[in-house]
Order: sequence, then structure tokens, then C-alpha cells
Amino acid sequence: MTQVEKYKKPVRILHWIHLVAFVLLFLTGLVLFIPGLGFLAEDSWTRVIHRIGAAVFIIAPLIYLIVKPKSVLHGIKMAFTWGSDDIGWIKALPAYYFKGDESKMPPQGEMNTGQKLWWLIVLVFGFLLVISGLIMWFAKTSAPPALLQWMVFIHDVSFIVAGAMFFVHIYNGLFHPLFNEAWSAIYRGTISEGYAKKHHGKWYAELSKGKE
Amino acid sequence: MADKAILYDASKCTACRGCQVMCKQWNENDEVIPTEENGVDSRNWGSYENPKDLSPTTWLKMRFTEVEENGQMRWLFTRQACMHCTDAGCVQVCPNGSLYHNDLGFVAYNKDTCTGCGYCIDACPFGIPRSDRNLLTGIAKMDKCTACTSQGYNRIEATAAEADAMYESWKGELIPACVKACPPGALKYGYRDTLVAEGRARVDYLKSQGRGNATLYGENELGGLHVMYVLEDSPDVYGLPVSPSISAATIAWKDVIQPVGWAVGGLAIVGLGLNWLVARANINKEAK
Repeated sequence: MTQVEKYKKPVRILHWIHLVAFVLLFLTGLVLFIPGLGFLAEDSWTRVIHRIGAAVFIIAPLIYLIVKPKSVLHGIKMAFTWGSDDIGWIKALPAYYFKGDESKMPPQGEMNTGQKLWWLIVLVFGFLLVISGLIMWFAKTSAPPALLQWMVFIHDVSFIVAGAMFFVHIYNGLFHPLFNEAWSAIYRGTISEGYAKKHHGKWYAELSKGKE
Repeated sequence: MADKAILYDASKCTACRGCQVMCKQWNENDEVIPTEENGVDSRNWGSYENPKDLSPTTWLKMRFTEVEENGQMRWLFTRQACMHCTDAGCVQVCPNGSLYHNDLGFVAYNKDTCTGCGYCIDACPFGIPRSDRNLLTGIAKMDKCTACTSQGYNRIEATAAEADAMYESWKGELIPACVKACPPGALKYGYRDTLVAEGRARVDYLKSQGRGNATLYGENELGGLHVMYVLEDSPDVYGLPVSPSISAATIAWKDVIQPVGWAVGGLAIVGLGLNWLVARANINKEAK
């Protein structure tokens, strides 16, 4: 079947680098969160890994922003552009997600509503994690204790939300039967025409128009 | 084993700082070079109070407070060291139980297992724990007063009754270094109940001598402190928190955030697992 390019190489590289950084951050953060794993954090070495992961997590998107500013703007614009089709998507979601019922699904753009939601979570909670983390990193000996305690609180709440949504993200990418080409999209960068038509109807229509 | 405690009587203290010196000597906490990172600036800063602050190697220091009374200067002295709270914020937030209450009721810690997160430093209502922190890498270890229990000085591996008996026969020996050093007897060590009674009696005496605001600090604060102060005035005059409390963020960490986190994470995994079973079955059915 003819393939359509979904994700260009730079954004795929960013995705995988960011994923590795996030997993490192997630696991080295988890050891403080589960008392039974606390022994792994002894002598601060998980904190060192956490900080290396944090540096990658912060710097990688910044490099991407400098190299591909238009792509970032395009992505942010898509994530914040909401319309009636997005409301329709949310209404149709339960039947779609559990039963595979696509009849009530409104046609979606390049970024469907679910992807928009994921993007918003990445942007909002990524920002909160980075800000609270940087304060705990560099102001640990100078900031008032109460501020540091609330930074831990913000970091933890963001960790819970982002972490739970990360499970959903992995599940959708690897296991959900409807999204069988998600892996191909982010690994090879392409999806089949049929998949594009089904999951990104509006975008596919625009693409075909451009070709003619 | 009955709880032990230290009773500090500010009205007897001469601020000789013998306790400070003994603390360093016994715990082998060498003096730090004034400008050393994480050390304490011990240069003259206009007060006999020295060093200026606690540090990872200064677990006890005397605080000098100057107040004016009837046109005259009064010097008030207090200890600045771990208060060994019953409701201890540091124990509450420690992620892996490195901070804990020992059999005597004191807040002890295992430095080997300390992760260096520094949560205890921010949770302490008295601002006591310190760490030697590398700001870039985050490698750190916490230190604070151990009530001289971590060296096995007055902690005995024995049954409660045996330990109490041993304490009785060794009285005067198995006591923290600061107490042992105190020339005017302003520091006492013993059963907490006994010391509470002694402290109350001393406060009554001070009140009869015209110190109307005299108080026994630590009798009930934070579930009862294991270091109590006989003060000649109200705690705030000495720079102590009048009603020390554990912040909401301290309580939230293990009692709210962690359980919520496990619940959310667990539910997400269970929900996705269910979805996998249901969606796969439904979609396969449709395909047929």
C-alpha cells in the first residue's frame, strides 16, 4: 500500500531521545516514591542519573526549537486549535476505544484530539516538572524551605499525571489494536494511505488535494 | 524502654559553650575552615555566638539573644540542635526510613542509607538538619544531633528491662556528651517523665522569682519533644517557634501524594489492561 509521511526524521529523533530521558527520569524518580525501592537511591547516585536525564530532557527540545522553529510552532498551533470535531471525538471516544466503533468518529486533522490532549499534557506538565525541578536543583540551598516543599509537591503531582498518561501513551503506541500503525509512524515515519484516511481524514483530504 | 530526654535549663546556662566543644570532640566533627563550602563562617560577626550557624559538622551551638529590659541589656541563651520531636517532620518525609525513632524516643538516622534528598531539611520546624551538598550533582548526606545514640553511647542491645537496669547502674556515664560537659548543670539527661516534673518545678520556682513568662518548652509541642527547655521568658523572645507545627506539604508527601500516585498509576495500568482485553475481542469480532 502507498505510504504517507507522518513524522519527519528530526522529530522522530527528538521523540526517541526524549523518551529515553523521560524513562530515566521516571525510574530514578520512582525510587523515592516507593519506600520499598528507596534503598536504590542510597548515596545519591540515582539523583546524578536523574540530573543527566533532566539535562537531556530540557536541552533536546531546545535544540529542536532552534533547528526547526516552524515545526514547533506548527505543533503548538495544532495542539491549541480546538473545534466541534474535537468535542465529537471526545463523545465518541468510549465506544471507539473499547468497541472499535468508528461510526460516530468525526474526521480528524494531522493531530487528532487524543494526540492534542497528549501534547497539552506534555507541554503543561513538562513545563511544571522542569520549573519545579530546576528550583529544587539550583535553589536547594538558597530558597525558603516552604517553597522547596511545594516544588516537591508540584513535581510529584506532575509526575503522577504525566506518568499515568505515559502508560496510556505506550499502550496506544504498542498495544491498542486500532492504532496498529502508530509504531510505524514514529519509527519509520510513514503510515499507509488507508491508515491516514481512517485516523486523520481531514489531513488526508488536504494531502490528496495538494497532490492533484 | 521508657523514653529518655535532655532537659536544658536556660536560667542556669552561662553559655560557656562547653557542650558545643564536647559535641564536636565526642562526635569527631572537626572544625571547618571558615570559607569552606557548606562550612560555617566562623569569623567575627559582632556576637559571641560562634559559629554563626549549624553545619554538617556542627550539630549543636548556643544561640545568644540580646533583649532590652528596664533599659538594661539581658542576654538570653538557648541551644540550637535537634529537638528530637515525637511528631518528627523529618521522619515523616524521609523516603526510605533512614530517619527513625530509636528505642529511647530520639530521632536517629542511618547515614549509610541516606539518599541526600534533603526533604528532612525542608520539613524540620526548627531548621536543624544540614547536608554537605554538591549543588551540581546533588550528591549529599544529611547530618544532625544524634543525642549521642548512634555511637552506642547510651543505646544498649538489651531488653527494655535490662536496658533500664543498666541505665540505672551506669547513671552519669551513659549520657550524651553535651550533658556530661555542662559545668553549671544546665543540661540534664534522664527519663523524660522525671525531667518533665523537674522542669515544671523549676518553672514554678522561676515564676515565684518574678519571671511570670517562664515556661517549659517541649513538654507538649509536636507530641512532646525529647529535648526540653526551661525558659525564663516566652519562646519567641528566644527566637523559638511558639507553636511549632508540621506543614501541610510535609504531611501530604507520604499520606496523600504517594497513595494517590500508586492508585492513579495502578488504575491506569488495570484500565489499559481491561481495554486491551475488551477492545481486542470486539475488534476481532468485527473483523470476522
